[in-house]
Amino acid sequence: MILRATEPPLATTTPAPVTSRRRGRRRAEVGRESRAGWLFLGPNILLLGIFVIVPLLWAIVISFQSTNGFGAGDFVGSANYERLAGDPLFWRSAANTLLFTAIVTPLSMAGGLGAAVLFNSVLPARGVFRSILIVPMAISGVATALIGVLIFNENSGVLNDLLGFVGLPNVNWQSGGASAFVSVILVTLWWRVGFNMLIYLAGLQGIGPELYEAAELDGAGAWGRFRHVTVPLLGPSTFFLLILNVIYSFQVFDIVFVMTGGGPQNATSVLVTYAYNTGFVTRDQGYAAAIGVVLLLVTFVFTAVRWSTSRSRDHVE
Amino acid sequence: MDLNRRQFMIGSGALTLPALLAGCGFAPRPAATSTTGSQTLTFTTWGTDAELASFSRAIALFEEANQGVTVELNSVPFGQIFTNIDAQLQAGNPPDIFRVPYYTFGSYAGRDQLLNLSPYLESGFSDQFTDAAWAAVQGGQQPFGVPHHTDTSAILYNREALDAAGIGAVPTLLEEAWTWEELSDVAARLRAAQPTDTYPMAYNWQGNGVTRWLSLLFQADGRFLAENLTDAAIDSTAGAAAVDFSSSFFTQNFVPPNNNVKSATFASDTWYSQTTAMVWSGAFAIPDATNTLDFDWGVTFAPRNERGGGDFGGNALVATAGTANPELAAAFLDFMTGEEQMRDFCETASLLPTRADLTESGIEFAVRPELAPIFLGQASTVRAEDSSQVASPNMSSIITVLQDNLEAAFAGSSTTAETLASIAEGIAVATGGEA
Repeated sequence: MILRATEPPLATTTPAPVTSRRRGRRRAEVGRESRAGWLFLGPNILLLGIFVIVPLLWAIVISFQSTNGFGAGDFVGSANYERLAGDPLFWRSAANTLLFTAIVTPLSMAGGLGAAVLFNSVLPARGVFRSILIVPMAISGVATALIGVLIFNENSGVLNDLLGFVGLPNVNWQSGGASAFVSVILVTLWWRVGFNMLIYLAGLQGIGPELYEAAELDGAGAWGRFRHVTVPLLGPSTFFLLILNVIYSFQVFDIVFVMTGGGPQNATSVLVTYAYNTGFVTRDQGYAAAIGVVLLLVTFVFTAVRWSTSRSRDHVE
Repeated sequence: MDLNRRQFMIGSGALTLPALLAGCGFAPRPAATSTTGSQTLTFTTWGTDAELASFSRAIALFEEANQGVTVELNSVPFGQIFTNIDAQLQAGNPPDIFRVPYYTFGSYAGRDQLLNLSPYLESGFSDQFTDAAWAAVQGGQQPFGVPHHTDTSAILYNREALDAAGIGAVPTLLEEAWTWEELSDVAARLRAAQPTDTYPMAYNWQGNGVTRWLSLLFQADGRFLAENLTDAAIDSTAGAAAVDFSSSFFTQNFVPPNNNVKSATFASDTWYSQTTAMVWSGAFAIPDATNTLDFDWGVTFAPRNERGGGDFGGNALVATAGTANPELAAAFLDFMTGEEQMRDFCETASLLPTRADLTESGIEFAVRPELAPIFLGQASTVRAEDSSQVASPNMSSIITVLQDNLEAAFAGSSTTAETLASIAEGIAVATGGEA
């Protein structure tokens, strides 16, 4: 779809003598439009500045300080960043964050795409199924994690009861490092696949059926149509979801914080839970800010690389 | 006046923006009390319904006794209160009074955020409190708060589970509390009598409750901070005994594997679901357990080793250093720890008094009053030398050190010697003292 919101009315493009009065009216219209645009944009810029830009710049300043949050901090130069290099828990948390991102991002996108393709087809009660998958989006991360605690409680959780019912041994979801990591991933997928499905569903509905007819006439089977028609034309959706999923994964906090607290033995500690504990539990806020700035830089670098290498980001039909 | 759509939307935006910003805390607060001479105190706390109701009753009495004085009670969920308080302190607009756990108290007192009450309290004011309670609100030998109430952990047991294991009577006198060996024996008998997916007990050391592990250290007659409250003192025979004893809970399957210090499942949940037969718990749990549980349950004392010992839980009330009305704030803190107010609060909320007279005369819980003497007896095992360590300005960092190292010890990833050495080193880094 091509939007032409600012295209001038036909009358003004008709070659005709333009009087100075008409030019003046046109300038006044443009001025009013411009003012209205800034007035609509103003509150957003103000809120973005107050809640994003200022805290972000302030965090960068704090990352060069030693401070417990009360009073003025002491400037320590790059000491906090040098400390990061030799901090094993930082590297453990960074590795966990990357592993979490590397697993959750493709799985949630693949799950979302599969569900979108399925629920875009002629399927009975597909509206109900779509709603069921989207419902987790409406639940807060903390509530989702609390549900996760109930399901993965290794003493009285539903999942171990089910495993026992089918004759499988119980899994130490809370006291085993790898199992705890898997439990966090499964709850995150349950929470996130619906959102991915929604975006892909919107993308699928923008693909004209004539393209599939043409591919079919050319002899493409179901997999061929999916591989050579659906996937390429969902490029912009994929690009958007990839960036968003990576950012969400880098920023994962609430599910880990509530379900495992980063344990057992830091097996599920991620950068944001480590920064939170450092900043608000041990009150080493300069060091916590440095962790946050590293996370910001990693996110920026990933987004920039993906932006510059993506061929499909600007495709708009 | 005719309005077109654009004018209407611009006007609406202009009108709603201040309200939006006010909701986010960016609107200025009413003028400070000092400049106007008005007598208003702001009091921020969290609380259960029973606690908030008792606070409201006490505030009404304080306002009645002090004409023209208003106390604004601001209730905040526990999960948010300290990030809010910190932000307000940093922004220079904190409440006059707030409630704070003893293990967090030192973080504020040691960083000049609280009002030193010495000039405002009458001489002999401290005499009305137990030594342990008064020691818990000291910063550099000066009082920076008042001990509003305390709580300590005893053992809640499931009567049927104990009967099934042939465990009849439990100690009903403090002097007869189980020794560590006796507790281990009871746990072993329960272990033998129970199926593999249920456990003898669960310990309430999750989250900041890791300070409750210190009860075992105190029972072994140990310390984690030396008398100068700066150097580490945990790498000792007592420390080794406490780590060994608590680690044995896991090696002997006395507690569920997920009863570790960083677990998201609280010990009480495993006892409620009858996964465990016993649980360490404070008196605060009595009303909820009474209303919720459909099995017969009772309470006995925590165990003793070299001596009895317990955690000094509960909360202090503090005034902020920048309060505009320090005299009034101190008078309010004095009033809130009066005999009548403390009795009302502790009896209705199932908590323990810090006043010596109430500790001696006893109180009656509104729910299960027969259990109050057990918790009061357990609280009497807490010594001033124990509670003063928890008031360290570096307690927040020490809590993290304890969590990390005890978790590793309980999971079998580090030996007792390694655990103690690592905790001592962590404490030294946190306090700037010696390991």
